[in-house]
Amino acid sequence: MIAQVYFGLFALVAVLCGATLVFARHPLNGAMALVGAMVSLSGIYALIQSPFLATLQVLVYAGAIMMLVVFVIMVLNTAKDSKTPGIDLVGILMSVVAFAFGLVFTGVLARTPVEARADSPRGTVQAIADTLFPVHGQSAWPLLFLAVGLVLLTAIVGAVLLSKRRLESPISVEDHA
Amino acid sequence: MEISIVHLQLLAAVLFALGLAAALGRRNLFFVLMGVELMLNAANLSFLAWSRTFPGRSALDGQVAPLFVIAVAAAEACVGLAMLMSVFRNRESLDTDDFSRMKE
Repeated sequence: MIAQVYFGLFALVAVLCGATLVFARHPLNGAMALVGAMVSLSGIYALIQSPFLATLQVLVYAGAIMMLVVFVIMVLNTAKDSKTPGIDLVGILMSVVAFAFGLVFTGVLARTPVEARADSPRGTVQAIADTLFPVHGQSAWPLLFLAVGLVLLTAIVGAVLLSKRRLESPISVEDHA
Repeated sequence: MEISIVHLQLLAAVLFALGLAAALGRRNLFFVLMGVELMLNAANLSFLAWSRTFPGRSALDGQVAPLFVIAVAAAEACVGLAMLMSVFRNRESLDTDDFSRMKE
């Protein structure tokens, strides 16, 4: 019973924050709303027996990724850009399409008979480590883990190359002034 | 298990729709990026909720998949923000309507 109350609270906060992201004027307000949505989602993860993902959600998503986004928003300081209309005619049309998509999806889901199982394991660090790196037997997860490492490495190199002004310049920000 | 899976999936669908609306409807590049992040979060929630409907070890696959989604989201935010900065440096604008040169 108490879990359902908490779930309702977290879900309300998440949906309100998501709505704020759609309608906010300034990017910083949107970023803060997104942080709120991510933190409340982390609470929901903890409620559905996934403590490891709940921790990771706060650490990586709300902590690292959103910190990066907020940092770039502040660096670019696009105060003059916030004058552009948040939502114009095309935006309203696209939002209607998105919400119609959501309505169809919820309509299908609301009549799907699914039950949570009592014997479903908790997503603890130990259980996830045993799945990701199995000592016995074959699994595709270790290979995928290596592939994700390559993806992250490529992303780092790509970000460094993209943020340089010219490819020859050793340091990109020095010649700004 | 007290929280129903259908409610979790409904929440994921609503969040996905909100993220889609932000990604498609907003003109500012920051909101497009953050809408994509919200959609990835909704997908994670959906993964975790479905994993509760499986017994035994097969449920843990649904708990591991969001890990990879988070890693890809980190890479996407990293490259996306770098592209955004270089675009802003060249055009002094973050309005998606200004980036229609390929249409002409």
